[in-house]
Amino acid sequence: MNAARIASLVAGGLALAGALVALAPPGKVGGFDVDGFARLPVLEGGRVKPIDSVARNTLLMIRSQQSFRHEGRTIGPEEWVLDVLFRPDVANAQPVFVINDPEVLGLIGLRQTSDRYFSFRTLAPHLGEIERQAQVAHPIDAKERTRFQSAIVNLFDRIYLYYRLENTVQLAGSPGLAAELLDLRASGAQERHRALADLSAFRPLPPPAGQAGDAWRSVGEALRAGVAGNVDPGLEPLARLGRAYASRDAAGFNAAVADLGAVDASRRPEAVKQADHETLFNRAQPFYAGMVIYVLALLALFASWLWKPGILQPAAFGLLVAGAVVHTGGLVSRIVLQGRPPVTNLYSSAVFVGWCAVILGVVLERLYRRGFGTAVAAASGFASLIIAHHLTGDGDTMEMMRAVLDSNFWLATHVVTITIGYSGTFLAGAIAIGYAFRRQFAPRLDPATSKALVSMAYGVICFALLFSFVGTVLGGIWADQSWGRFWGWDPKENGALLIVLWNAIILHARWGGYAREKGIMAMAIFGNVITSLSWFGVNMLGVGLHSYGFMDKAFWALSAFIASQLLVMALCLLPRQFWRPAGSRAGEEVTGTV
Amino acid sequence: MTKPLTARAWDAITSLKLTIACLAFLMVLVVLCTLAQVELGTFGAVSKYIKSFLVWWDVPGTLWSIPVLPGGALVGVVLAVNLVSAQARRLELSWKKSGIWIIHAGLILLIAGEFVASVFQVESQMAIEEGQTLNYIEGRDLELAVIDVTDPAFDDVYSIPESRLAGGGTIGVPGTPVFLRVKAFYRNAELAPRGPQDPPSPADRGVGASIAVRPMPPVSRDDRVNQTAAFVEPVAGGRSYGTWLASNVLGAPQSFTHEGRTYVLALRPRRQYLPYAVTLKKFSHDVYAGTDIPKNFSSLVHLSNPSRGEQRDVLIYMNQPLRYDGKAFYQASFGKNDTLSVLQVVENPGWLLPYVSCVLVTLGLLVHFAIALRRSSRRRQGVQEA
Repeated sequence: MNAARIASLVAGGLALAGALVALAPPGKVGGFDVDGFARLPVLEGGRVKPIDSVARNTLLMIRSQQSFRHEGRTIGPEEWVLDVLFRPDVANAQPVFVINDPEVLGLIGLRQTSDRYFSFRTLAPHLGEIERQAQVAHPIDAKERTRFQSAIVNLFDRIYLYYRLENTVQLAGSPGLAAELLDLRASGAQERHRALADLSAFRPLPPPAGQAGDAWRSVGEALRAGVAGNVDPGLEPLARLGRAYASRDAAGFNAAVADLGAVDASRRPEAVKQADHETLFNRAQPFYAGMVIYVLALLALFASWLWKPGILQPAAFGLLVAGAVVHTGGLVSRIVLQGRPPVTNLYSSAVFVGWCAVILGVVLERLYRRGFGTAVAAASGFASLIIAHHLTGDGDTMEMMRAVLDSNFWLATHVVTITIGYSGTFLAGAIAIGYAFRRQFAPRLDPATSKALVSMAYGVICFALLFSFVGTVLGGIWADQSWGRFWGWDPKENGALLIVLWNAIILHARWGGYAREKGIMAMAIFGNVITSLSWFGVNMLGVGLHSYGFMDKAFWALSAFIASQLLVMALCLLPRQFWRPAGSRAGEEVTGTV
Repeated sequence: MTKPLTARAWDAITSLKLTIACLAFLMVLVVLCTLAQVELGTFGAVSKYIKSFLVWWDVPGTLWSIPVLPGGALVGVVLAVNLVSAQARRLELSWKKSGIWIIHAGLILLIAGEFVASVFQVESQMAIEEGQTLNYIEGRDLELAVIDVTDPAFDDVYSIPESRLAGGGTIGVPGTPVFLRVKAFYRNAELAPRGPQDPPSPADRGVGASIAVRPMPPVSRDDRVNQTAAFVEPVAGGRSYGTWLASNVLGAPQSFTHEGRTYVLALRPRRQYLPYAVTLKKFSHDVYAGTDIPKNFSSLVHLSNPSRGEQRDVLIYMNQPLRYDGKAFYQASFGKNDTLSVLQVVENPGWLLPYVSCVLVTLGLLVHFAIALRRSSRRRQGVQEA
C-alpha cells in the first residue's frame, strides 16, 4: 500500500469516526433520563415523530437555534421542552424569543441592543398590544405586508406556538395532570378538557392496536374519553412524569418515562421504532457533519497546492468520500423515515443537489485525478448544505406532502430528475469557476489541464441537459395528469425550461465553433445564474401553481450570488492576469488557439 | 464570387446560428412571460409573449403599438423550419448521427404538440354541488343567454358570445323574433345599490333600475373574475321591452314575454352542453390528523350516458382524472364548505404528442451521449497508448 492510499484511508476514516461520535447517547441531565423522554413517539404535523423532533423544530422556529445558553449552562431541546411542559415558571424566564425587527422592539418598549433574545415573561405585559397589531396585519396577503407587519405576525405566531406547547399536557398554572385525573368531573373540568384538546401542540397518546395509525389523542381528548369511563393507560404515567419532573424527583421521572414507553411499545411498536430512528438521525446531524467534512476536504486540497501534494491530495479525496458517505447516510435516513423519494421540499432539494454534485465530483476525480473533481465536489457539497441549513427555519423539514404532491411516483421521477439537472448545471458552473480562477491567478498554465477542465465541464453539461430536459418534460406529463395540460407556462416550469434552453445553447455554440474554451466556460458560469433563478428566484414571484416554497428573505442572498457569478464571468473572459502590464503576464494565452 | 440569393437564403435558414438565435429569443420571451405574470396573470402573459407572432408595445401617451420582439409562435415556427431543413441538409444518415436524428424528431413533435394545444385546446370548468346533476361545462368567457322557458318540459337556449356584445349595435337572436339592442357593455364593473348621488340607471326594467354600474379596468389575476355588465334592450315585432341590466353577478332571473312566449335573460359563463350527464355523489377533502394540511381531494361522480347505455361511478382525485369522450375531468378546486367540487375540463386532441416526444428525445439524448462517451474514452485510451 503506498503513502497516497494510506493518507486517503486515514483521513477518511478519521472523519467518519468523528461523525459517528455524535451518535453516542447523551448522559442524564441531573439524573433525569431526558433522552428516554425525547425518544417517546407523538403525533404532530400529521405524522408520528419523537418528542425530540417536536422540541428541536419548535425551538428552531422560536429562537432559530436548537439549543441555547442560559444562566451559565447549555440547555438542550429536550430539557427545554420538559420545562415548557411541566415547569412553565422556569421556562417563562428563559430567553427563547429572538426579535430582530427594531420596530417590533420599539412596540414593546425596548431598544435594539446586542441581546436579541427575550423571555416569555418579558413579553407577557405586551401580549395584548402584540395581538392587536398582529390581528391588523393578519388579513393582509403575506406578500403585501410591510416589514413590520411580517415581523409582528411572525412574533405572534411564535408566541402562540409556545403557548400551545405549554398547554399540551396540562394547563399552565393549573395544579397539573395528576390533580386533573383525581376527579374527572370536578367543577370546571369540562372547560379545562376542551381547552387542552384545542390548544395541544402535539398528541402524545397512541391509539390502541386495530385503530387507524393517525388516531393519536391529545391529553384533552383522552380526558374527555375518561369522563365516559374509558381511561387511557398513557394518562397515568404521563401525569406521574410531569409531577416527578416538577418536584425534581429523578427516580420517579425515570420510572414514569419507562412506563410510558411501555404503553407506546405495547400499542404502537412501529411508532417506537420510527421515533428511535428519527431521534438518532436528529442527534447525528449528518448534514452538519457532512458540511464540516467537506470544508476539511477543501482545506486539505488548498494546502496540497502549497505543500506535499502527494499526501494531501489523496487525503482530500479521502475526506470527500467520507463526507459523501455521511451525506448519503443522512439522505437514506430521510428517505426511510419519510417513506418518500429524496426530494419533497426546498430544503431536501438543496440536500439532494449537493449530494448529486458530490457523487458526480467523485466520479470526475476518479476519471481525471487532478484534484479538481475533489475541489468542485467539496465546494458544491458544502455550499448546498449551507443553503439547506438556512432553509430549516420553518420547522419540520419532513412535513407531510400537500394533496397534489402526494405521489411518490412523480416525486421519484420528475422531481428527482429535475434536481439532478440542477445539480449538473451547478457542477459545470463550479468547474468553470475553478477554470476562471486558475486562468487568472495560477502562476503558470499547462494546456492539458485547461483542456481537461473544459472536457469535464462539457461532459457535465451534456449530463445536465439530459436530466433537465427529461425532468422538465416529466413535469409536463405530471401537469397533464393533475391539471389537464401539459405545459402552462407556470413560472417554475419556465425556470426549468430556461435551464434546458441554456444548456442546449451552450452545446450548440460549442458544436458550431462559435464559442471556444473560455466562452464555453463563461457560459457555464452563467448556467449557475439561470439555475439559481429557476430554483429559488421564481418562488419569490409568488405566482403560479408551484409557489409552495415561497420565500422573501433569500432575495438579497440570491442577488449577491448572481452578482458574484457575473463578476467571475468577467474574470473568465478578461485576458489572463489582466491587471499586469501586457508584457509581464505569466504564461501566454493557451486559449483561442484550437 | 457571390452565391445566388436562394443559396444564401438556404444557408441562413439551415444555419446553426439561427438555431442559437431562436433558442436565445425563446429564453428572452420565457423570462419576460414569467415576469409579466405578476402583472397580467398567466393567461394574459402567455397570450402576449408566447402565443403571439409578434410582441407589441403600446407607446405610452399615443394610440400606437409597435412590434418590438418576435413572439413565441413565430420563434417556434422558425425553429421548426430551421430544425427540419438543417437536418435535411447537413446531417448525413448514419448510425453516428442517429441520436441527433431521434432528438430532433422528438423536438419537432414537441413544438407541434404545443401548436396543437394552443390552437385546439379548450379549457372549461364544471362547478357541481353534491347531489347536483349537470350536463354542461362552462368556459372562461361569458355569453348572454336568451332562454325560452315557455314549455315547462324543456328550455330553448339561444346565446350570444361576450365578444359579440362588446361590439355593440343590434344583434338578432337566431331562432327567435327577438333583436337585442346593446346600449352599453362593460367588461368589468362594480355593481352597487344606487344611491341618491348616482346618475339614473339606463335600465328601466328589472333589478337594473336600482343598481349603479361603475366601470372598472378588467382584472388581470387568474384567480379573480370580471364582473361583466351590459345594458340591453330586447325588441320584437317592432316593440321595445325596455332596457335591462344583465350581469354575471346578478342572481335573480329576469324575463319578458312576447306573443305568449317567455324569455329569460342571463349573462353567464359560456356553456357547452354534453351528450351525457354527471352527478356529484360525494366530495371529500381529507386533511392530515391534527393539521389543516390537505391530504386528498376527491369527487365521487356518477356518469350517465343513455346513448351508449353507460351508467357508472367514477372517483376523480389528485393525479387521477376521468378521461371520457375526448375530454379529461380533473379535480381542480372546491368550495361551499366542501359541498361544491370544481372540476377542470380539458379537451386537447394533441395530448399524446408530448408523451411520444419525451420518449423520443430521452432515447435520442441517451444514444447520442453514449456514442460520444465511447468515442471520447477511445480517444483517451489512444492518448495513453501513444
